[in-house]
Amino acid sequence: MKKSLMLITMMLVLPMTLIGCATSGDLEKVQAQQKLIDAKAEQALQDSQAAKAAADAAKLEADQANARAAEAEKAAAERERIADEKAQRADAAFQKSMRK
Amino acid sequence: MCRILDLSLVSNSLRLMVFCLFILNLQGCAAMKSLQEKSWLFPGHPEEAIERNRFPVAKGVDVIGRLAVVRLEEGDTLPDIARHFSLGINAISDANPGVDVWVPEDGERILLPLSFILPDAPRRGIVVNLATMRLFHYKGDSKSLVVSTYPVGVSTEERPTPTGQTHVARKVTRPTWHVPASIAADHRKKGDILPAKVPPGPENPLGEYALYLGKTSYLIHGTNKPASIGLNATNGCMRLYPENVKMLYKDTPVNTPVAIVNQPYLIGQRDGVLYLEAHTPPEGLSTGELERINAKLRTIEKKAAQTLDWKKVKEVQTEARGIPVPIFELRPGSLNEVANPIKVQHPDTLYGRPEIPELTMEGWYVLVADLRDEIDARRLAAIVNHQGPPIPARVLSKNSSYRVIAGPFSDISQAKDAVKRLKYDLDLDGVVIEPVNKG
Repeated sequence: MKKSLMLITMMLVLPMTLIGCATSGDLEKVQAQQKLIDAKAEQALQDSQAAKAAADAAKLEADQANARAAEAEKAAAERERIADEKAQRADAAFQKSMRK
Repeated sequence: MCRILDLSLVSNSLRLMVFCLFILNLQGCAAMKSLQEKSWLFPGHPEEAIERNRFPVAKGVDVIGRLAVVRLEEGDTLPDIARHFSLGINAISDANPGVDVWVPEDGERILLPLSFILPDAPRRGIVVNLATMRLFHYKGDSKSLVVSTYPVGVSTEERPTPTGQTHVARKVTRPTWHVPASIAADHRKKGDILPAKVPPGPENPLGEYALYLGKTSYLIHGTNKPASIGLNATNGCMRLYPENVKMLYKDTPVNTPVAIVNQPYLIGQRDGVLYLEAHTPPEGLSTGELERINAKLRTIEKKAAQTLDWKKVKEVQTEARGIPVPIFELRPGSLNEVANPIKVQHPDTLYGRPEIPELTMEGWYVLVADLRDEIDARRLAAIVNHQGPPIPARVLSKNSSYRVIAGPFSDISQAKDAVKRLKYDLDLDGVVIEPVNKG
């Protein structure tokens, strides 16, 4: 009976040990893979953040350029409006001066 | 042997010469042909003169004259061009929208609206269209009718010229201006005390000739402010350029009928083409006049049994450039025969352009303004120059400043008088400048 029990135990423990050995090796492998992937992910994240930052910077620059262009356009329109107003005021003054 | 050789050489040279001459002839013909074609399509040389005032009126024709273009030269202003070509300021600026009246660009092409649709009124005596600021004087009978046309300065909205029928009651040369109470009051408000009457001379706003109308206190007269022709600037009278009123005065007998109309929209035909001329209507007149003219157009459309291009009609009415625009073919193919504007050569001197005397060290001057912008300074100098009587003015630049200087004046009283006029007329504070060399 003892022997049988021993045999059974051995039969159970040995595969389990073997299985356990295989599992820890796999685990290490997986962990190593995970590390690599993690590193890759980190790199990708950094790259993406850098790209986003660059895109953001470019967008900001574009926005600023647009704003500057709009401002310049506005200023030009304002200058034109002022020039037109000046011309109109001058014309109005002239027309008034032409009365008796 | 030698002789034979020589002859063949001569013969070859002759052949070569004949061949060259033939080629040259061919080229010559081609060049001549292209020149003829070019001159037919684009008149190479601009016309030296164009009719501006006197036109025959054929039976059934409502459109007279022809549009023209002229290229501006340095220092030109639109009022100078307008006067030379017998146009009002309104006409030239409406025909050339976007062009600076006082400081236009050198080389700019200016359309001269020297084509007019006759007003819808009987063709006899004088007809004044207030809306287009143009006077038409008909002479002759229906077989040989001639019209002389001149631009006019008309009333302001505050004191409008009454429309209707009247006549020339009397004619006066070198008239005295009896200052109306309303004008005296206007001047008094500005601190300017006018005399009860102004004798003939440069200060007299009636100029040298006056036609007194049947409607009391309304006149057709000259002016001492020629730049006001084509403006709403009078108190009910109609004023003409001095050179035009002289012609009208000579041509007009007493009792000539005078019709005063107010027609901003005109339609008329010439050579099988229907034209539409639109001017900016005076306030309060726009809707009724527009309805009247559109009703007329609908009748024409119905009679012709053809659809009018109403989009174009609306465009002409909105733009209101004051030029006759072809809108409808009354005879098939007639639209293709409409003449293009004629190119006119810029005259050496523009008639009536204000002269600016040379600077002198002994003269008195007036500093009119000190400005940062050159265009503003040039505009102001031009406006001062076109006052009546003229105040000579120019721009002197120093670093980034542009000074408008009036003068030279022979004495301090003339300079002070200019300061007074600048204040009353243009609300400018001039400063008297003493002569550099005091006599």
